[in-house]
Amino acid sequence: MKASLLRWSAWAPGLESREQWQAWSRAPQPLPPTGVPDAKFLPAMLRRRCTPLTRTMLTAAFGAAEPDELARLRTVFSSRHGSINESIGLLENVVRREKLSPATFSHTVHNAQAGLFSIAAGNRAASSSLSAQEDSFLAGWLEALCFLERDPREPVLLVVGDVPLASTFAPLCDEAATPYAFAAQVGAPGTGPGVELALGGWVDDPVTPPWPPALEFLRFWLSADRELEQRSRGGARRWKKL
Amino acid sequence: MSRPPCRLAALGQVSALGRERVEVFARLVAGASGLSLRDDFVPGRSLWLGAVREPLPPIPPALARFACRNNQLALSALESIGAEVAAAIARFGAERVGVVVGTSTSGVGDAEAAIAHKERTGVLAHEFHYDQLEFGGLARFVAEAAGARGPAYSLSTACSSGARALASARSLVAMGVCDAVLSGAADSLCGLTTNGFAALGALSAHVTNPCSVNRDGLNLGEAGVLFLVTGEPGGVQLVGVGDSSEAHHMSAPDPDGRGAEVAMRMALDDAGLAPTQIAYLNLHGTGTPQNDVMEAAAVARVLGERVPCSSTKPLVGHTLGAAGALEAAFCWLVLAERSGDRLALPPHVWDGARDPALAPIHLCAKGETAATGARAHVMTNSFGFGGNNCTLILAADAPA
Repeated sequence: MKASLLRWSAWAPGLESREQWQAWSRAPQPLPPTGVPDAKFLPAMLRRRCTPLTRTMLTAAFGAAEPDELARLRTVFSSRHGSINESIGLLENVVRREKLSPATFSHTVHNAQAGLFSIAAGNRAASSSLSAQEDSFLAGWLEALCFLERDPREPVLLVVGDVPLASTFAPLCDEAATPYAFAAQVGAPGTGPGVELALGGWVDDPVTPPWPPALEFLRFWLSADRELEQRSRGGARRWKKL
Repeated sequence: MSRPPCRLAALGQVSALGRERVEVFARLVAGASGLSLRDDFVPGRSLWLGAVREPLPPIPPALARFACRNNQLALSALESIGAEVAAAIARFGAERVGVVVGTSTSGVGDAEAAIAHKERTGVLAHEFHYDQLEFGGLARFVAEAAGARGPAYSLSTACSSGARALASARSLVAMGVCDAVLSGAADSLCGLTTNGFAALGALSAHVTNPCSVNRDGLNLGEAGVLFLVTGEPGGVQLVGVGDSSEAHHMSAPDPDGRGAEVAMRMALDDAGLAPTQIAYLNLHGTGTPQNDVMEAAAVARVLGERVPCSSTKPLVGHTLGAAGALEAAFCWLVLAERSGDRLALPPHVWDGARDPALAPIHLCAKGETAATGARAHVMTNSFGFGGNNCTLILAADAPA
C-alpha cells in the first residue's frame, strides 16, 4: 500500500519544533510521563473545554496544515485510550449513584477530539475516530488510506495521540506511557515523499517499543533508514521509504 | 465512476427484536417493539430500553481477558455466521480477513463493577482486564474469536460508528488490503450511557415517538451486528457512502440539517443514483426534538416528500455505536426478504400526531410496501455526537 507523507507535526513534553524532533531522532530517549501543551491557538472558551488529550492532539493537528487545509481536509483521529481518564470519573459517579455532568459526558465520546477539532477549525469534511490497542497508529494509517480509496484528490489529515492512563487502569496496560501526538497529511501515491506499508502475519514475539509506535515511525522517517519493521500482538508490518 | 463490488455476504445480528432472521424480519415489518421497562440503570427512574433479553453466549475461557457483555453481543452475532466466516478464512487465508467494528461503549458497563469493587476494597476486581474495556478490544476480540488475522480496529464516532465501519470495510476490500472483512458493531446498555443521556435530558419517559409533535426524547438500546463483507458481485451490495462533519456543537445537530444533507447527497453521488431511485430510507429518527426537525428538513431537500421513511428506534431503541450497523442490517433484511418487485417496509411506529414544524416527509404506514425496479436501493442515516454524519445505500437485484 503506497501513499505520500506530505507534512507532519508532533508534540511531546519538551519536543515541539521540527529541530527538536530531528535531534531526538538522532539520539532517541524515552519521553517524560507528564506535560500538556499550551494550545494558545485555541480560543480561550474552547480551550477551557479541552482535556489534556484534546490539547495535545489539536496542537499536532494545527501544526500539520495551513488554515485553509485545516478547514477542508478529511481527518482521522486515532487514540488507544481516548477519553477513558475522564470516563473513570463518570464511572465513579455512576457507582456512587451521583448525577453526571452532561457537558463532561458529551465530551468523553471517543470522537471528542475530532468533534472539537471540527468546531475549532470550521471543518465540515468527513472524519473518523478509532482505536486499536497498540496498533492504533497502524490502524489510523489504514483508515486514512480508506478515505484516499474513496477520493484520492485531497490528502487526509491523520492525527494520532494519547495521554498516560490514570492510576486506576495504568498498571493493567503495558506501554511506554507519555503524552504525545503525531499529525501527518497522508496523500495519494506520487503527491509527495513516498511511503509503502506492507502487512505481515501474526508473530509470536511482539515488541513493546520504548516510545509510542507513531513516534517510532517518526524517528524512522527522520532517519537515514530505508525500512522499519514493527511487531505487535496484531502482527508484523514493514514501512519502506520510496 | 463505477466502484468495485462490495457484497454484504452474510449477516449475524442480535437486538431487542431478537436474533433469528425470520422472527426479526417479521417483527420489523409488523412494527412490534422489543422495548421493555427497566429501573436498574438510572436511580429513581424507570426507562424504556431496547435490552437484549435472550441469553448471550459465554466468552470462551481462552479469551477470558475480553469477558464483558459488549463482546458477548458481538459473539452472538458472530456465531450466527460462523460457517460463512470459517469458509471465508479457509478460502482467503486468515491474514486476508480483517475486522472493522464500531462501538461507543466497548466494555465500559462491566468496568462499572470493577470500579465499584475498587470503591469498596481499594483495588480493582482481579479478573478485570484492560482488554475488555478499551475500544480497540472489541476488534481484537472479534478477530481472535473468528480466527481472523488481518488488520483489526474499532471505530468510535458515537452514533455513526457502525455505519462508518461498513464504509471502511468496503475500502479495505477495494484496496486489496483484505479479501474479506468482518464488519459491524456492538454496543451495550450500561450505567454510563443511561445516566449520561439522562443528564442531557435526552431520554423519553415513554416509547420514543419520532417526528410526533408529542416526541420527548429517545430510548437507549443495545445490539451486536456483524456482516461478512467481500468484493464479490451479487446478493446485497453496499453501493453508496456519504459522510460529513458539522463544525457546530458536541451534542446537538446543526438545526438546518446541512451536515445530514451533505452526507445523503454524497452517498447518492457515490452510488450514481438519482433521489427518486431510493425505495426506502431508514431514518436516524431518534425522537429528540432537535434530530427530527433537522433530519426531516434535510430528507425533504434531498429525497423530496414521497420516498417512504421510517425510524426503527421505537422497536429497538437507539443502540448508539451499533445503530448504523443495526439499521443497515434492517435494510439488508428488507432487500434480502423481498418478493418480486415489492419491498415490505418497516413501519414508522408513532402516535400519528405529525409535528407541523417538520418538513412533510412520507412516513411509512403499517403494511406499506414499496414498488421497485429489478434493482432496489435503500438508504440509512446515522448522525452522531461530535457532529459526525454517515449515510449508506444498499442495493440488491430481484431474486432470479
